Amino acid sequence: MSSTVTRSDGAAPGAPRPGGRARDPAGRGSDRLGAVIYRFLRSIPAWVLWLMVIIWSVPTGSLFLNSFRHRDDQRASGWWTSFTEGNWTLENYSDVLSSGQQTGGLWQALLNSFAIAIPATIIPIAIAALAAYAFAWIPFRGREWLFIGTVSLLALPNQVALLPLLQMFAGGAHWTIPGTETVLTLFPDFSLAGTATAVWLTHTAFALPFAIFLLHNYISTLPGELFEAARIDGADHFTIFWRIVVPLSVPALAAFAIFQFLWTWNDYLIALTMLGAAGENYPATIKIASMAGEFGLREHLLSAGAFVQAGVPMLVFFFLQRFFVRGLLAGSVKS
Amino acid sequence: MRDHSKRRTRLRGARLLAIALAFGLIAAACGSDDDEDAAATTAAAAPATTAAAPATTEGADSLEGTKVTVFGPESSDEEAGALRDALDHFAAQTGIEITYTGARDAADQINAQAAGGNPPDIFIFPQPGKLADFARDGHLVALPADVIAAMNEHWTPAWTAFGDVDGTQYGIPNKSDLKSLVWYKPALFESKGYSVPGTWDELKALSAEMIANGDTPFCIGIESGPATGWTFTDWVEDLMLRFHTPEDYDAWVAGELAFSSDEVSGVFTEVLDLWNTPGMVFAAGGSIAATPFGDNGQPLVDNDCMMHRQASFYAAFIPEGTVFADGSADAVDTFYFPSVRGDQPVLGAGTLVGAFRDAPEVWEVMKYFGSSEYAEVRQRAQTERKGGGLSGFLSAATNQDPSVYQPLEQSFLSILQNADVVRFDGSDLMPAEVGAGTFWTEGTAVVNGDKTVAEATAAIDDSWPQ
Repeated sequence: MSSTVTRSDGAAPGAPRPGGRARDPAGRGSDRLGAVIYRFLRSIPAWVLWLMVIIWSVPTGSLFLNSFRHRDDQRASGWWTSFTEGNWTLENYSDVLSSGQQTGGLWQALLNSFAIAIPATIIPIAIAALAAYAFAWIPFRGREWLFIGTVSLLALPNQVALLPLLQMFAGGAHWTIPGTETVLTLFPDFSLAGTATAVWLTHTAFALPFAIFLLHNYISTLPGELFEAARIDGADHFTIFWRIVVPLSVPALAAFAIFQFLWTWNDYLIALTMLGAAGENYPATIKIASMAGEFGLREHLLSAGAFVQAGVPMLVFFFLQRFFVRGLLAGSVKS
Repeated sequence: MRDHSKRRTRLRGARLLAIALAFGLIAAACGSDDDEDAAATTAAAAPATTAAAPATTEGADSLEGTKVTVFGPESSDEEAGALRDALDHFAAQTGIEITYTGARDAADQINAQAAGGNPPDIFIFPQPGKLADFARDGHLVALPADVIAAMNEHWTPAWTAFGDVDGTQYGIPNKSDLKSLVWYKPALFESKGYSVPGTWDELKALSAEMIANGDTPFCIGIESGPATGWTFTDWVEDLMLRFHTPEDYDAWVAGELAFSSDEVSGVFTEVLDLWNTPGMVFAAGGSIAATPFGDNGQPLVDNDCMMHRQASFYAAFIPEGTVFADGSADAVDTFYFPSVRGDQPVLGAGTLVGAFRDAPEVWEVMKYFGSSEYAEVRQRAQTERKGGGLSGFLSAATNQDPSVYQPLEQSFLSILQNADVVRFDGSDLMPAEVGAGTFWTEGTAVVNGDKTVAEATAAIDDSWPQ
């Protein structure tokens, strides 16, 4: 994380800024103030930024150091004393990795995390890309209102829907038509509560509004001439989507995939609510939090557990960083 | 031209089918290993809201292959592992498949699971107040007569009373903690010429003597994340039970005796006067409210303070390698938190099991949770998992083989089993808005000196749900 921040910011002071001044016509008060602020920000030397990076990283760094210290050391003194005391240990990591053997241990929990995060990443992208293409390039009645409705769902906090969803997974959704005895089954009882499926279905549902919004913004900026040319050549919507839209949208798709993977990987609440007492399906977040025990007896394991848990997203981030940075600009400029 | 477009349509159909198939495969791949668990959750999801007590559970011969899910807050390797060992022991005898899941937020999560129609078969309640809420809402099943009879063989009325909701028995005690304890080092006391106080006044006199000698009497720290302040409430509860009658204590817990009454605010003042005496408290974190409650074991071992009042489970927080009550120079021991009026009241805590499903196999497991056999097997397993020292587990069930406990734990047990007056941790019995809310936060405010006792107690009274 920090390396990206410093690279982009650290390079800024030395880089020439053509046109920066020319764009500000002299004489307008607000612009002059803006120019002053801009010059001030430009004059901050790189070492100040480095200092901020260091201060920002202290909590994470101290957590990392603490993960190599014995329980009684963690309880008795601060992390900074470890430089002089030494007394490092890998015991916390081995305890974390070997804990919970009766229920499959942490490896099983990491597998469970993948079983939740991978479908919860792929499925919303697949659906959202198709939906975003349709919203952007297929004219149909009520398109605007449907799109506004979909995007408005962004404002819905997922916490309010957790219990109704759990009820639906546990017993299906049924509706008695008012005034009659007829019961409509809106969602059959698949006994999904306590399964990984319930967790990724929930993640998928809540990811869709944002995914459609983000991908629509990108896909709608693709040049329309491409589609016209393709249609003249006889391509149908699916061919256009598969041959033109998907290849051109890879940065946006990858950026959303990274976001979505990180969110679902680090999720605690949705998984715990949907899984309940089905401990054999717990992802790593719940397993690690539970290692501390009822009275926080083994809280010293949490620092090591946090780094095991963070390892996977870090790898994902570093390998896909290219897409990540590019994807943030998705839809902002035409290419 | 027509031929061309027809072929295209067919091709398009095939592609759509392929996408649908791909999704189906992904879903199947991700769902396949859940089938087994789905069966277990179906059983768990069966509604169990009948509050009427079934007459009996007899005639349950073949329980082979039945499944029971247990959910609870005990989640570390030692606690949850030993609990599973004890359940495996029973599963091997009966053929019931019992799964225990521990999660740190189980006590919060059970509300969602019950409301969402996905409750476990049995939940381990950390607070009687919570058990009562679920019983009154109709989620829990009242215990059948034979289960109550089995429980009464192992538990005294002082303990079973915590599972009694408005005259109906819903819960069985599962674990007991003894709170009225002071941790100290006997050899250090002896070398300094201090003697274990038998009354509250003697305790205050001893503290004054220690301060005069340049020693710090108490280690106190009440920080505990979102639960900061619970250690203070324990002191208040313990002294409420000592300065006033058990009836007053019950009235206070039930909301009939206000916090701002002379009785309760007097106890607040008593605790704060002691803590605020110069030289009285060693707080490793700089101030009482900034010191994690778990950080008081190290200074006690290091002789930074002479005493620490905390529950029996605190043994697990005392640094590794410390010996308990074996008479050696560095051994740590406990004495009973002295009484005021001459009786020997005990402040206890613990967990209770309640059943969400009415089925013979569930009642068999419930009976087992209330038995001394469970306590013995679990204690042995937990001691082994701890690798020596005290296990942190304690059960006040009678008829237990005392040899599974170490000498110090045996002394806890004799206090617990012989106490005439046992009262449960009051903050666990009060409504959550107070017991897990303002009592903690306002208590922390008075300890910090941000509020006066009168302001804090009035604020707690205001927060009591009407």
